[in-house]
Amino acid sequence: MEILAQLIVSGIALGMIYAVIAFGYQLTFATSSTLNFGQGEALMLGALVGLTLVGHMSYWLMIPLVLVFGALQGVFVERVAVLPALKTKSEFGWIMTTISLAIIFKNVAENIWGHDDLTFPSPLPTEPLQFYGIRVLPMEILVVLGALAIMIAVEIFNRKSIYGKAVVATSNDRDAAGLMGINTGVVITFSYALSSMTAAFAGVLVAPLTLTGATMGVVLGLKAFAVAIIGGLNSGMGVIGGGLLLGIAETTTGYYISTGYKDVPGLLLLLLVLAIKPAGMFGKSVIKKV
Amino acid sequence: MSLIKKISIVLAILIAAVLPAIWPNPYYVHLMVIIGIYAILLLGLDIVVGYVGEVSLGHAALFGIGSYTVGVLNFQLGVPFLLAIPASIVVTAFFGALLALPALRVNGPYLAMVTLAFGTIIQILINEMTFLTNGPMGLSIRKPVFFGHQISGADYYYIVLLALVLTLFVVQRILKSHLGRAFEALHDSPIASDCMGVSVYGYKVYAFVLSAGIAGLAGGLFTYSEEYISPNTYNFELTILFLLAVIMGGRKTRIGPLLGAIIIVMLPNVLSDIELFRTIADGIAAITVVYAVYAVAVSQRTVKQLVLPLIVTLGLAISGYVMENITDQRLTIFGVMILFVVYYLPNGIMEFLRGIVLKIRPQWIHRHELISEHGDKQHVWSVPDHPVSARGYLLEARNIVMQFGGLKALNGVNLQIAKGTVHGLIGPNGSGKSTMMNVLTGIYKPTSGEIEFNNKNITGATPASIAGEGIARTFQNVQLFGEMTAIENVLVGLHHTYRHSLLDVVFHTPRCRKEKHAARVRAASLLRFVGLIDLANEEARNLPYGKQRLLEIARALALNPSLLLLDEPAAGLTAPDIRELIAMINKIRGHGITVILIEHHMDVVMSICDTVTVLDFGQKIAEGTPANVQSDEKVIGAYLGGSVQTA
Repeated sequence: MEILAQLIVSGIALGMIYAVIAFGYQLTFATSSTLNFGQGEALMLGALVGLTLVGHMSYWLMIPLVLVFGALQGVFVERVAVLPALKTKSEFGWIMTTISLAIIFKNVAENIWGHDDLTFPSPLPTEPLQFYGIRVLPMEILVVLGALAIMIAVEIFNRKSIYGKAVVATSNDRDAAGLMGINTGVVITFSYALSSMTAAFAGVLVAPLTLTGATMGVVLGLKAFAVAIIGGLNSGMGVIGGGLLLGIAETTTGYYISTGYKDVPGLLLLLLVLAIKPAGMFGKSVIKKV
Repeated sequence: MSLIKKISIVLAILIAAVLPAIWPNPYYVHLMVIIGIYAILLLGLDIVVGYVGEVSLGHAALFGIGSYTVGVLNFQLGVPFLLAIPASIVVTAFFGALLALPALRVNGPYLAMVTLAFGTIIQILINEMTFLTNGPMGLSIRKPVFFGHQISGADYYYIVLLALVLTLFVVQRILKSHLGRAFEALHDSPIASDCMGVSVYGYKVYAFVLSAGIAGLAGGLFTYSEEYISPNTYNFELTILFLLAVIMGGRKTRIGPLLGAIIIVMLPNVLSDIELFRTIADGIAAITVVYAVYAVAVSQRTVKQLVLPLIVTLGLAISGYVMENITDQRLTIFGVMILFVVYYLPNGIMEFLRGIVLKIRPQWIHRHELISEHGDKQHVWSVPDHPVSARGYLLEARNIVMQFGGLKALNGVNLQIAKGTVHGLIGPNGSGKSTMMNVLTGIYKPTSGEIEFNNKNITGATPASIAGEGIARTFQNVQLFGEMTAIENVLVGLHHTYRHSLLDVVFHTPRCRKEKHAARVRAASLLRFVGLIDLANEEARNLPYGKQRLLEIARALALNPSLLLLDEPAAGLTAPDIRELIAMINKIRGHGITVILIEHHMDVVMSICDTVTVLDFGQKIAEGTPANVQSDEKVIGAYLGGSVQTA
């Protein structure tokens, strides 16, 4: 029982990371019905840039810089990969171009930071805290709090500020928002900036818990997509439920079956959810009008 | 097929057959074998990517399943080549079905992610199931022995060549048959496809399974070629490479995959030689600069349009001198190539070449097979596939409620359609007429209520199965297969008359030929009936609006319906055309087909309808003969906005 509780606690931290990345998928899908297939790579770049910066400054000072870097990276992705494809209304186009940018980022990262995984110094003590016999790393608590903080910050921004209203309007109906004088192009670019920013932030949050390397993004991005689907690409906070579900499923599989299989439940879950309820467990299905 | 085409195919095969004599170096022979194997896989991948129009990121995994089927069977059980290769096709097709059945309920980015997830799972399984696959250590096997002769690398080239030619032949036959037409139709207009009885989901799964089987064949051949396989081969990079090859070579062609295979196999070799890379990069940069100067000079392009390609190509040339080792940048180069292809060569090399030929010799390009059947009067009509057994009412809809969020587009509507009548459905805009059509044809599932058609409950059935029961329709916003010719559109409607199997298609049996001919005569006759026979080989999207509506009627009649739903057929028609339309609808009724007609032209409604139902705000407000309905207070109120008292 104690082991199970321990696994659940570790799963929660992991799950929150998935939730943040999935949240990033939702942001761009809402405004432009496109996704960045390189979301995992945005996380990886954030973590590696953060690692380099941490050599020169404190962890806390590094975070805002990484956020800025992430936002710029998102703008780059949108300009190079998404905008031209949106102009030609080619779904195939943006899927392929965001994938190709993802492999370029991965390759560039390999050439800069090398092929090996690197350890990311933890800003908090690595001594676990004890709660009723369950060990919790301070960093895990930071991950949960940080993930919640950034999601809440973005949500508040979207709900309260006039710029946020533009985002919401665009996500409801891009054409109508455009006719009302909202520059939807800027809103979409902005949503990519936000999306990559949250991913980069997730990168520096998770890096001290895991290892950092050029290949860390691929599977994380994919499993976060599973979470985004489970939560529903349109439903705001469903990703937290989805993320926790997957995170816990993963730590328990890793322990009870084999660590080699730990990625399988997430991917199977993705297949299952799409087969049973493509709109997601927490999403509402939209009837396509003819 | 023309004689020139046949001769050039035979010549191409002969040239391929003598290549090992020209380059006997085993390294080159091995490269050619890999090109052949990849080309086989790409031919299959093109069915999914080119024809069905979906992105599959799982084909490297399917390739791996084929490889490991052969590897495991041969390594663990000693199964011989001639059994192991067919097994690899069957097993991979099975896994393809396992993936496709859940995955193809979704499309676009969802499908891309799901196939990617599948690919990752398969790689994990291959790595972890060591008792079968030997895990990361990999499997070693030998090339087969035939009649005591150990097959060498050069011999194996001919085996792969044979497999490639066979695959080309089979794929060509399938894609030129009604199956290929179904794949194209569902990509072009999924809704119309479903309503013509060609189940989008069903045929997508079909296409995917075919494609998987072919990937399995390629995988099996790959194992014997390499004699050693390990899980890392079948990674994400390989999947990307396959997709790059398909889109770069040219979708929906047979030569495109061959070109693509040559490019992706030769590319790593080019990239391993920095000198060669520098020469090529310099060459590309020089060509781009010359083209840019020319294009700006003749004002074909603006400077702004050319800035990005110039920067990229010049950057490529300069990077060639900065880098010492290029293999490390391999993925970046693939990525840049994909970006380049998507933006500047979206239809691939073959389409680009075609475009050039089209400028010089337009008569050489035939995008569609010319169908020259003329059709006649006696082949227009046929009996429904399901004979009408209902007495009285052919269709009864009871208490239909259709709710979108808080809005009830239909609120407890009852509709009874008597057999052999023309039943008008009218009402102001937004009264729920088209929603009713969509509910009847299964595009919407009603929130509550039930529909009985021909003594059968069809509530909640899929559009394709409802079409199969004998309800055909046209659409308010025309839903033709735009990229197909008029006659091909009708042939999609006749899809249900093709009863022969895949094997019949591949071997072109008499049964297949007979059904094909019958369908063509019928299609031509239907086009003649609606007056479009002269435009039979014209692409549907090029027809004027009014003719597109008539084509939809011909296509709907091809389904041999017992109930035909016409959604505003007279919209966009001129007055003489409308008179012809009325005559046409009368003839349709004359042949025992019941018609539901939504129309805003009251003269049309009044002159041909036996019964008229009036909807307003999702409710039935009147029903009866045209004359009665015309004088109904409520109806006048609904149309002209009468006051509450009169309503």
